[in-house]
Amino acid sequence: MLLGASLLSANVGLIVWLSIVFLTTLLILRKYAWGPITSALSEREATIATSLNRAEEALSESKRLQEQNAQAKREAEQEAQKLLRDAREEAQVIRDQEAQRTQEEIALIREQAKQEIERDKQRALQSLRKEVADLAILAAEKVLQENLDGARQHALIDRFIDGLTSQEPNQTPSA
Amino acid sequence: MRPINFFLALFCALVLIFPSESMASDEDEFDAVHHSSDGYYLDFLPIGKVELPRILIIRSDLTGYGLRVYPSTKSALRSGEILAEMPDDGHQENTEDVEALINSGKHLDAKLVPIEGTVFLDLSITKHLIFALLASGILLVIFIGLARRYTQGIGRTTAPRGIFQNLFETLVVFVRDDIAVPNLGKKHALRFLPYLLTAFFFILTCNLLGLVPFGATATSNLNVTAVLATFTFVLTQVNGSKDHWRHVFWPPGMPVAVKFLLIPTEIIGLFTKPIALAIRLFANLTAGHLVILSLIGMIFILSDQFGNAIGYGVVPISLGFTLFVMFLELLIAFIQAYIFTILSALFIGMALADHSHSEAH
Amino acid sequence: MDPSALAYLGAGLGTGLVALGTGLGIGRLAGPAMEATARQPEATNDIRTTMIVAAALIEGVALFGLVVAFILTFK
Repeated sequence: MLLGASLLSANVGLIVWLSIVFLTTLLILRKYAWGPITSALSEREATIATSLNRAEEALSESKRLQEQNAQAKREAEQEAQKLLRDAREEAQVIRDQEAQRTQEEIALIREQAKQEIERDKQRALQSLRKEVADLAILAAEKVLQENLDGARQHALIDRFIDGLTSQEPNQTPSA
Repeated sequence: MRPINFFLALFCALVLIFPSESMASDEDEFDAVHHSSDGYYLDFLPIGKVELPRILIIRSDLTGYGLRVYPSTKSALRSGEILAEMPDDGHQENTEDVEALINSGKHLDAKLVPIEGTVFLDLSITKHLIFALLASGILLVIFIGLARRYTQGIGRTTAPRGIFQNLFETLVVFVRDDIAVPNLGKKHALRFLPYLLTAFFFILTCNLLGLVPFGATATSNLNVTAVLATFTFVLTQVNGSKDHWRHVFWPPGMPVAVKFLLIPTEIIGLFTKPIALAIRLFANLTAGHLVILSLIGMIFILSDQFGNAIGYGVVPISLGFTLFVMFLELLIAFIQAYIFTILSALFIGMALADHSHSEAH
Repeated sequence: MDPSALAYLGAGLGTGLVALGTGLGIGRLAGPAMEATARQPEATNDIRTTMIVAAALIEGVALFGLVVAFILTFK
């Protein structure tokens, strides 16, 4: 029947024509269209990929630098802290030494003063002893002139004075 | 916004009704299959038909092969060298009847028979060939223009600019990344990309041309789809790896008896793939048109059967469904182009593959 | 009875059966594909591609039936 013939029939002429048309289109497009388009596309993709890579690299580089900076800063801070601590310690040491030396000096001065006092005291005792002896002798002379001979009196007074000197050291600390 | 939409809808409805109406009144019989099948004329229905040149290669015992070119079927019949043979009764019309035949408009369905010799090859231009050529021309204009933009540097290093470039680049990248690369692998994808791209856009353009007023769908012709499928078939077999052929002629991992059973199956399988490819495309595109024409035809059938009132009442329903099927056809135009291309890529990829037998099957 | 009537009947029945089979086939294919997509949305593209290819193959069988029906009606 007519309808079936028109829908399903083979038309060799059309097949020949269409093969030519399609093949020509394919060849022309392959040469003048698909080639440039696909190469341009892959070129652009490559460009994008490389620039992405580069950006990634730059990012990681800058991150690394930042990290480095932070590290350096941290280290500097630590250094500063350490310096400060050292300085403080040193100052402490110096202060301690100073204090010690002052103490020592004070002790020395005190010692010297003590010795001076002791010396003065000895000197005073000496002079006192002499004075007392003289006084005693004077007094004794006076007494002797009245009661006794001189020789006996003298021995008596020496004995008294000896007893005085031996008593002396016991008396100083309390003074 | 709303009035514009309304007028657009009205215009579409008029465009849809007008040709069909005149067709129905012209021939008194609505023939959907005839409308969607091939012919030796361009159909500008309300205005008329433009006949296409007839080119015949004629073989006769006296003069050998001869080429006859006529500007139209009419002039071929009037030339006195060609007789018209009507296909329904098979009897030959006399040359005296030619004018009557031309006036009845049935001469376009006639088979041309030369008075002496036989037709060796009928290279006549047909409606579908014209639309295939149109599609091919559109492809050339679009993609050579697109390629020029790329060679000018737009899109080569910078982003693509404009609707035109962005639209087609998306499609090209889609074919490359979603059709070629997954099925062929990165290594072979670029080699077959030109064919896949051409097939995809050619089919898509042909499909879409069928939705244009006065257009015809070249891909709803079995000959056209057969040619496209043959290209895929040839590419598949030419690039078939050793593995591919071994699978066909000596399927590994089977007992010998089963092998002899499998060989014919495999050989048939080689051919069913492209045949299915051709028939799928043809049937999908034809079916859509037949459905649209049947829906439109429903108006006239019902008004014939039950009177004009019912006929007019059916119009909105019929047009609504037609609009829906039109959208479906738009979808199918893309899906079928995609499926043809992806199956081509799949078949070529399967033939290319050098798969190891431990993991296959 | 006119033998072409039987041919038309056969074509109609055949087309219906083919539609039934294809509907069942594509339904069985699309349902699990949807489930798989819901379960693994990241594999959507792969699933869709394989689904369309399989659907096209099933549909191919249906179209063979349709062509036989065409031949029956036109012969």
